[in-house]
Amino acid sequence: MDLETFRRDLTDWLDANADDLTPPYEGFGSMDEQMAHYAHVKRALFDAGFGRYGWPESVGGLGGSPLLRAIVGEEANLRGLTDPNPWTMIEVLAPTVIEFAQPEISARFVPPFMRGDEMWCQGFSEPDAGSDLASLSCRATKTDGGWLVSGQKIWTSFIQYSSRCVLLTRTGEPGSAHRGITALLVDVDSPGVSYSPIETMHGRLDFAEVHYDEVFVPEDRLIGEENGGWQMAMDILPYERSTTFWQRGALLHRRLSDLVAQVSASGNHSDTAAKTLGQAYQSLMAFRSRSRDTQHRLDSGQQLGVETSIDKILITTAEQQLFEAVRNLLPGVIEFHEGLTAARWRTDYLYSKAASIYGGTSEVQRNIVARRLLDLGPES
Amino acid sequence: MTEHIDADDLALMAASFEAVMAEAPGPGEADQALYDLGWGELLAAAPGPAAAMAFSALGTTGSAATLLEDVVAHALGLPFSPDVCVLIPDTFHAIPAAPQPGEPRIFNQEEPLEVDGLVSSRIDRAATVVTVMDGKYGPELTSFEAGFLRGRGATGVDPAHAYRHLSVRVAAHFLTPLETEATWESAVAAARVALAHQLIGGARWMLAEARQHALDRVQFGHPVASFQSIRHKLAESLVQIEGAASVAEACLHDPDPLLAGLAKSLAGQAALTTATHAQQVLAGMGFTAEHRFHLWLKRTLVVDTLFGSANSLPAEIGRDLLTRGTAPRLIQL
Ligand SMILES: Cc1cc2nc3c(=O)[nH]c(=O)nc-3n(C[C@H](O)[C@H](O)[C@H](O)COP(=O)(O)OP(=O)(O)OC[C@H]3O[C@@H](n4cnc5c(N)ncnc54)[C@H](O)[C@@H]3O)c2cc1C
Repeated sequence: MDLETFRRDLTDWLDANADDLTPPYEGFGSMDEQMAHYAHVKRALFDAGFGRYGWPESVGGLGGSPLLRAIVGEEANLRGLTDPNPWTMIEVLAPTVIEFAQPEISARFVPPFMRGDEMWCQGFSEPDAGSDLASLSCRATKTDGGWLVSGQKIWTSFIQYSSRCVLLTRTGEPGSAHRGITALLVDVDSPGVSYSPIETMHGRLDFAEVHYDEVFVPEDRLIGEENGGWQMAMDILPYERSTTFWQRGALLHRRLSDLVAQVSASGNHSDTAAKTLGQAYQSLMAFRSRSRDTQHRLDSGQQLGVETSIDKILITTAEQQLFEAVRNLLPGVIEFHEGLTAARWRTDYLYSKAASIYGGTSEVQRNIVARRLLDLGPES
Repeated sequence: MTEHIDADDLALMAASFEAVMAEAPGPGEADQALYDLGWGELLAAAPGPAAAMAFSALGTTGSAATLLEDVVAHALGLPFSPDVCVLIPDTFHAIPAAPQPGEPRIFNQEEPLEVDGLVSSRIDRAATVVTVMDGKYGPELTSFEAGFLRGRGATGVDPAHAYRHLSVRVAAHFLTPLETEATWESAVAAARVALAHQLIGGARWMLAEARQHALDRVQFGHPVASFQSIRHKLAESLVQIEGAASVAEACLHDPDPLLAGLAKSLAGQAALTTATHAQQVLAGMGFTAEHRFHLWLKRTLVVDTLFGSANSLPAEIGRDLLTRGTAPRLIQL
C-alpha cells in the first residue's frame, strides 16, 4: 500500500475519532489509567483495521509492510494518544515470537496482544546478569510435557499488567554462556510466579523483581530451538530498534515542538536559546534520518543486525540532549514548578536518564560498534 | 532534465574522479581533468547525486579541486563555466530572508559593496565574480569583473586548500545585478549539502587512518585498539559520521534549506569530533608534518567554516524553529 495514502486515511480517522482517543486523564495520568487507555486505543485501532496492517495474516493481521506499523505508532505518539512504553512491548516481542514460535502458538496468543486485550513482558535481566546477559542463570529443566522454571529476574517492565512473559532461561551447563539459553513463552498467572514492583526514580512502578519457583511451562511454548534462545534474543534487538525507536522519536519530536513553542512564546530568542534548540533538533534529525534508512532496509527484506547499535546511540543522545535543553531553557521547571505541564517535563526529564541504560547500555553499544562495525579486534 | 542517474555509472565516475583528484591534489590542479571527465554534464543532468559523488571524493582524497563554484553557479541558474568565481561572504548567514514575490528588489547604488569573504584559486583565472549583498529587501545577487582580485587573499592554516580570505570594496557602478529566477537561499542549500559530503568523506578518511594505526601500534604488549577508551573514541566517531551521512543523503534531490543546514552542521560536528579523536589515537605520529593526518585536520577546519559552521549553524537553525514556533518533521518514512 502507498504509505502516504495510508497515512492520510489514518490521520483522517484519528482526527475524526479524536474525542474517543484522547486520554481521559489530564497530564501524565496514573499507571493504571495509562494502561487502560493504551488498551482502549489499541482496540480502537484494531477494530478500524489500522492496527492490523503490517502484521501477517497468520496472526490476524492484514499484511503489508512493517512501515505501516511504524506510521501508526508515529501518528499516535505525535498526538500524545498513549504513553509509548507499553506500545513498545508488542513491537519488540511479537515479531520475534511470530518468527520463532510454533505457528499455532503465535496464532493463539499474538491476536489478543495486538488488540490490546492483553499485555506481555520481557524477562531477560537478572540480578547478576545485566550487560552480561549471557551469564543468566534462571533455570529451566525438562519435565513431563514441558519445563520447570526456577530462578529470579529483575527489571521486568509491566509484569503486573501482563498475561505472558518472553523469558530467557538457562538450559545448558552453568558455564554454557550464550550456547545454553532457551526462550519460553510463560503465562504470568502460572503457579509459582511471584513479583514485587520496584519504584523508579521518576516515581512509577514501571518494573519488578520476579521469582519463578518450579513454574511449569508446556513444551509447545518453546520459542525457537532448545538452547537457541540467544539467537532469538539477538533477533529482538533490530525490531526493538526499528519501529519502536521510530515511535519514540515521534514522541521526542512532539516534546521538542512543545519546548520550541514554549520558548518562542516566552520571547526568549537569545543566541543561547536558539543554539540549544538547534542542537537538540539536529541530534533528533540525525536519529530520525538514520532510523528511516534502517526501516527501509528492514522493509526490503534485509536482515538487521549490530549496525542498529548506531541507531540506539543516536536516539539516546537525542533524548538526553532534548531534556537537558528543557532544563536549561525553562529554568526552575524541572526543579520547582507545580502544575501538570511542569510535572510532565519533570517525568520526561527523569525518564530520559534511563535511555542510556535499557536495551543495552551506551557503553555496551560502543563496544559493539568497536568490535563488530570497526573490527578493532578483542579488548584487552 | 533528469534527476536520475544509474548507480553503476555513478560508481564508475566516482572511481575516475578519485583517481584524478589523488593525482593532482593542489588547488585547482584537478579541475581541467574533471571537466574532461564530464563534471559539467553530470552536474547539469543530476545536480544532487553529482555533487554528493564529487564532494565525497574531495573529502576522501584531500583534493582541492574548485568544484564548489560550479555547484553554486548551477543552483543560481548560471551556465556552467570555469570562468566564474564565487565570493562567499563571511556573514552571508546574517542576511535577512529573501524578498516576497512582487516586492521590489533595490540596490543601494550610492554605497560601494564591501565584503569580507572567501574566494577560491579560480580568482586567478576567472573573468567574473558572483556574490551576494544585503539588498533593501533581502539578499541581492550581483557580479563584477574579477581582474583586480588576482593573486590576492590570505590562505591561512591550510595553504593547500583552494580558499583564500580577503576584503573587497567595489564601487557600485562596477556591480551588475544578476539576472536569475533562482534564490541565494537555494544556492546556499546546494553548497551546504555538497560540503557536508566533503566533510563526511574527510571524516571517514581520518577514522580509517586512526583505526589502522590503533591496530598496528602495540603498547603494554597489546595493540592500542584493545583499550576501551580508544575503542569508544573511534566508535563515537563512526556514530556521528553515520548520523550525519544519513541526513546528507536525505538531501539528494532539491533539499529543504533547513535540512541542508542540518546536514552541514551535523557533518561539521562529526568531522571535528573525528579529527579530535583521530588526533589523540595517532598521538605523536599524528602531530608530525610527515603523517598526512594534519592535512585532513586543517581541511576540516576550513571546510567547516564555509557556508556556516558546526558552531554557527545550530543557532541559525534554532532561530528558524523559534520563528516557526515548532519543529518541522522533515524526513518521512
Ligand atoms: C527503565 C528500564 C526498564 C527496563 N526494562 C527491562 C525489561 O523489561 N526486561 C529486562 O529484561 N530488562 C529490563 N531492563 C534492564 C536493562 O536491560 C539493564 O538495566 C541493562 O541491560 C544494564 O544492566 P545493569 O543495570 O545490570 O547494569 P550493569 O551491567 O551492571 O552495568 C553497570 C555499568 O557498567 C557498565 N558496563 C558493563 N559492562 C561493561 C563493559 N563490558 N564495558 C564497558 N562498560 C560496561 C555499564 O555500561 C554500566 O554503566 C530495564 C532497565 C531500565 C532502566
